[in-house]
Amino acid sequence: MCVGLSARVVSIDKGTALIDASGVKRKVSAELLEDLEPGDYVMVHAGIAIARITEDAEKETDKIMEALHDGNGTGDH
Amino acid sequence: MTETAREIIESYRGRPLRIMEVCGTHTHEIFRLGIRKILPEKITLISGPGCPVCVTPAGFIDEAVFLALEKKVLLCTFGDLIRVPGTQKSLAKAREEGGEIRTVYSPLDALETAEKNPGKNVVFLSVGFETTVPGTCLAVRKALERKITNFSILGANKTMPNAYAALKGSADAFLYPGHVSVITGTKIYEELREQGVSGVVAGFTAEEILSSLAAIVRLSGKKEPFFLNCYPRVVTREGNPAAMALIREVMQPCDARWRGLGVIPGSGLELREKYISFDARKRFSVPEMTGEGNKGCQCGRVLKGEIKPCECPLFGKACTPLKPVGACMVSNEGACSAFYQYGEN
Repeated sequence: MCVGLSARVVSIDKGTALIDASGVKRKVSAELLEDLEPGDYVMVHAGIAIARITEDAEKETDKIMEALHDGNGTGDH
Repeated sequence: MTETAREIIESYRGRPLRIMEVCGTHTHEIFRLGIRKILPEKITLISGPGCPVCVTPAGFIDEAVFLALEKKVLLCTFGDLIRVPGTQKSLAKAREEGGEIRTVYSPLDALETAEKNPGKNVVFLSVGFETTVPGTCLAVRKALERKITNFSILGANKTMPNAYAALKGSADAFLYPGHVSVITGTKIYEELREQGVSGVVAGFTAEEILSSLAAIVRLSGKKEPFFLNCYPRVVTREGNPAAMALIREVMQPCDARWRGLGVIPGSGLELREKYISFDARKRFSVPEMTGEGNKGCQCGRVLKGEIKPCECPLFGKACTPLKPVGACMVSNEGACSAFYQYGEN
C-alpha cells in the first residue's frame, strides 16, 4: 500500500502540481512540500507529493557500496 | 575492486541472520525480483506486519459492512480492502447485496466524491501507516475548512515505531519501510538503535534492496546495534515536517489492534476533538465490533514471522488468491499472496 510513484513536476498552481510519471500526467496535492518548482522530481503516494527525489538510484547505490567497502557504513546519511 | 552487493550477500557464511522486511511493498518486490533465490542458507527473510490491509482486524471490515448495508452510506476505499473477509462477509459481498462501495486512489478523491454527492453520506475507509495518514488528514482538514458535512472517515490507521519495539527479538535486523520513513524521518531508527534494534532504510529498486541487504550483512559483522539510511535520495533524517505537523494537528495516538499482534499501546491514530465530527463511528453510532477471523487461518503467526505461509494448513487449499480466507492472501502485498504467486514453499 505504501507504494510510491516517482514523477517530474510539470507545473504548480495553488497547492496542486501537475506531474508526469513516465508519460502519464495527473494532478496531485503539493501542499506537503515547500517551494516545489517545475522540473523537480517527487515521490507521489495516494495523490499526494510526499518527498523530493534528490539523486538517481544508481548514484545513491554506488555511494552506499563505496561506504560499505571503506568500512564507513555506520554513519547516518 | 569493490565487491558488489550480490557478492557480499552470496558469500555470507556467518551466524544465522534473520532479516524482517517490514513493508509489504518490499515483500512483493523481493519475491518479484527473485532476491530470495540468491540468499545463502544462513540468511532468512521474514515478511513482517507492514501491509496495512493484512494487519487490519476483521472487526474493521464488519464496521464498514455495517455502514454500507445498515446505514446506507457511500463507502470509498482503497481497492486492497474490497475482498478482505470480515466475520460474516467482505465488502465485495456487501456490494453484491446493494452496498454502494467505490474504489478511490486518494483520500482526496473520497472528499471530492462527497462534494459531488451532497445528498449522500460518504465515508472513507482510512487504513495505512504514516505514508498514507497525511492524505487522510488533508482530506479531513479540507472538509472542516470547506464545511463539507457529508464526509467522514472510519479509521484504522497505525504507526510503526511501537510496532518495531513489539517485534524486537523477531529478527536480527529490520529492512525499514522506505516510504513510511519519507514521512517520519530516520531519527526514530537512531532511538531504536539505542534500544538494541538494528536495521536499514531501503528503497524499492533491485539495486536498492540488494545494497540494503548487503549493508545488513556487513554491519551485522560488527556485533553492535546499527542503523543506516540506504535510501537517502528520498528519505531524510527530518522526514517530511509538514506532513508530521499535519498528522499531529488532526490526529492523536491511541491503542490499536493489529491482526495477529493484538493490541499495541500507542500504535494507532484517532481524530482529535477539533475534528471528531468527522469520525464515522460516532456520527453513525457504530456498535463495537471485535470481529472474528477464520479459526484455521494462521495470518497472525505469519505476520509475526513464526511460520511461513506454506506452513498454514489452509495455504493453497482452502485459501487461494481467488478464494482468500486470510488478509495476507488477499492483499497483493501480503506474504501469503507473494508465496502463492511466486511458488515458494
